[in-house]
Amino acid sequence: MANGWKKVRTTGLVISIIAVLFSCFLIAQRGLQLGQDFTGGYVTEFVIVQDLDKSALQAQINPHLNGEFKLSNQGALQWQLFQPPQDNIEQPLAWQSQLPDELGLQILDSRYVGAQVGAELIEQGGLALFVSLILVASYLIIRFEWRLAVASSVALLHDVILTLACFSVTGMEFDLTVLAALLAIIGYSLNDSIIIGDKVRELIRTHADQPVANTINQALASTLGRTLITSSTTLTTIGAIWLLGGASLHGFASALFIGIVFGTWSSIFVSATLPQWLGLSYQNYQQKLSDEALKQLAEP
Amino acid sequence: MFANKNTAPSSWQVRIKRFIVAAIVIVLGLCATPNLYQNKTLISISPLNNQQVLPSNDLVKGLLEQNQFNVKQISSADNTLVELTQQTDSASAQQMLSEALREQASIKVIEQKTAPLWLQKMGLSPIKLGLDLNGGVLFVLEVDTDKALEKRMENLALEAQSIRVKNKLHGVRIEQSTASGLQLAATSHAQAGLEQLQKELIKLFPQLMVKTQQQGSLTLSTLSYNEAGLAEFNKQTMTQALTTLRSRIEELGITEAVTQRQGQNYIRIELPGVQDPAAAKRIIGATAQLSFHALQEVGGKRVAAEHGTVNLNPLAIFSGADIDNAQAGRDEYGKPLVQLSLSPQGGKKMLHFSRDNVGEPMATLYSEYIADSQGEIHESSQVISVARIQQVLGQRFSITNLDSWQKAQDLALLLRAGSLDAPLKIVTERTIGPTLGAQNISSGFKALALGLSLTLAFMLFWYRKLGVIASIALFANLICLLGLMSLLPGVVLTLPGIAGLVLTIGMAVDTNVIIFERIKEERKQGSSMMAALQRGYKQAQSSIIDANLTTMITAIVLMSIGYGPIKGFAITLALGILTSMFSGVVVSAQLSQWFYRLPSIKPASKQLISTAANKNQGVQHG
Repeated sequence: MANGWKKVRTTGLVISIIAVLFSCFLIAQRGLQLGQDFTGGYVTEFVIVQDLDKSALQAQINPHLNGEFKLSNQGALQWQLFQPPQDNIEQPLAWQSQLPDELGLQILDSRYVGAQVGAELIEQGGLALFVSLILVASYLIIRFEWRLAVASSVALLHDVILTLACFSVTGMEFDLTVLAALLAIIGYSLNDSIIIGDKVRELIRTHADQPVANTINQALASTLGRTLITSSTTLTTIGAIWLLGGASLHGFASALFIGIVFGTWSSIFVSATLPQWLGLSYQNYQQKLSDEALKQLAEP
Repeated sequence: MFANKNTAPSSWQVRIKRFIVAAIVIVLGLCATPNLYQNKTLISISPLNNQQVLPSNDLVKGLLEQNQFNVKQISSADNTLVELTQQTDSASAQQMLSEALREQASIKVIEQKTAPLWLQKMGLSPIKLGLDLNGGVLFVLEVDTDKALEKRMENLALEAQSIRVKNKLHGVRIEQSTASGLQLAATSHAQAGLEQLQKELIKLFPQLMVKTQQQGSLTLSTLSYNEAGLAEFNKQTMTQALTTLRSRIEELGITEAVTQRQGQNYIRIELPGVQDPAAAKRIIGATAQLSFHALQEVGGKRVAAEHGTVNLNPLAIFSGADIDNAQAGRDEYGKPLVQLSLSPQGGKKMLHFSRDNVGEPMATLYSEYIADSQGEIHESSQVISVARIQQVLGQRFSITNLDSWQKAQDLALLLRAGSLDAPLKIVTERTIGPTLGAQNISSGFKALALGLSLTLAFMLFWYRKLGVIASIALFANLICLLGLMSLLPGVVLTLPGIAGLVLTIGMAVDTNVIIFERIKEERKQGSSMMAALQRGYKQAQSSIIDANLTTMITAIVLMSIGYGPIKGFAITLALGILTSMFSGVVVSAQLSQWFYRLPSIKPASKQLISTAANKNQGVQHG
């Protein structure tokens, strides 16, 4: 039975590795659909009173709007229009006042971001992602045995890359809120890894004679319940945001949801399984044991 | 006896701890209460000066109703306060009123607290709402510090020129001025002159550095800012831009605006309630400057004037910085003008100049930065008037010959608000309608309600009695979080912030789940409930701290890149981690002790404490 579980875990890890490689390829091939925060340009959110479909509305807007634009539906009668940054057009927002009156156009939100600011944000965002990965990884290395720390950091990278790949495949817009969600995932998806890692440490110390694979199985078995519960309570609240939070939070909620699902997967199949490949054994904890021997004895 | 002795302090400590925990929750709860009373947006009408009477309530009401604004309440004391039925219309109503009553009253949009007086007296206020919830206009301006430096160097060259002429320094040449420095050259005979010039220039601009090199018989010296000086110059430019923009916004009558520096050289301006960005944009983005110059027959600066061009002495007699106050008005022919009053210093400069130049012409130069079609910024200057100095001028005089009343008003406002050396460029602009704000609030709180009720239902169903503890702790968590957010300055609630609040709920119960699962485990191994509780809380603590710390790290990183809505999310997340650690570990530990002690009668509980005390003894002996 123990061997069966070991096989399952190894298979999961192999699947993860393939998925990561495939995701990297996908992201490199297809890229990300960057949002206006990063590309710059004009976004107008508006409601109209007529129930038109996309092509009909496009036909209404076309004569009043020079240059390219992208129209997307945001809900009942609510639309979003994106215009990439354009230098050669005098008044890019003139269409807002030129549309025929019977459309009943009401502007909800009109925003402009300069292309240069967007480019700077890409740089800053990438840097933030990188810095938080480094910071979290170095915290883990200080706090845990290096094999566990490396495995958890790899798991983090795995979560981020797979989430990005999902955005790349579906063509969902990658904006600043999605970046925020990615950072939150980096922080949050470690929770499960830490709980399991703590348990592994605890069990290895008490069962020195067991093969490590069995100990990891045991640790996973005893933490599986709480891993699933904590992830599903968080997923529930994220589901609430996705369902009721409005169109502007869809990307954010989707990223968090996907990221946390992958995070739970990776805490079992990557961060718990990888240390074993890296050669985690009872000996790694012997020195520490002597440090903590007094404490251990002191506890009733 | 022995055990009793030890029991006394430990139960005393327990009580103190319980008291402190309760006190923290109550205090933060009190801080959260003002959120039940949202601020009211009012229009305040006050007389321009002491002589003027307030326009009557009927007149104001009539004006408003003519323009389709429904008045809910109007009251008059020192100033008139108007409450509209649609509070989100206040900004446009303010614009309409200031146009209509511009000669007699100043009109502002203000926020009034509605919380009971005792709450207000404690200095407590509700959480500030971000633009995405409130509606309003956002600008992010780039301050072009490079351009400002270029201009400073040009001025330096002009100063150098005038010092050279004044002191008759032969053999010294002013080679070129760029943003990187001003280059002077001197022949071998003119070394002394060069040094004198350098000394005088450094007296004017103390942060300049001099680098000298020899090129044949010529001595070349470059005056420039070193890194520290450059940083100081940039800082000064930014501070000047911030102060100027703040006073411009104040002049516009927007009291709740947020003006803050963003990153190296951006300024973020949030104008809640404003719906028409055009007027605000004209004033905020303007870089107009006035300066007064003597005319020159030959050389100098050629500038376009009404008829042809004129040659100006490039050194200004005085500039906008010397202007204390400016008011738009009309002359006897009804043409718009701006009345200026100068600072004592500026008055002195004017007095000296006009005394020496009665009968001579003086030009008023109006310059501003204009972006061309490529987005490059250029300075455009125009002489708006050339007038003969009729008499000796002092601190007060007027600039006539302005095109329009609008221009006179804007110019007066800009002059009052102070000068800007660096050109500004709007790099981000956003107008959020009040409807979207209301929509965002309602959808945000609907998501919060759904997330909260699902989580509570699950915890109660899964953990029963422990679930009750988790639920109470969760409410304590929300109260503490709202209290902290209201208490801390600079915290703004945004739509992603509400999402952060919902996310916090999901993460906060994780803490409870980790502890409860640990308790279950301990129970399975045969511990008593009390022991299981104690060990469960203790053992789970380090994992909980680790898990939350990593989220905290990313929240702090996020805070450093995000502005506006995203910063709101980062702050809510970070504060939420703090409060959920507090409520999950401390509050629910207290609650569980209380819950599981209640059914047992007193002696039993005493016994528990004394066993705990004995255990402590064991530790000491071991």
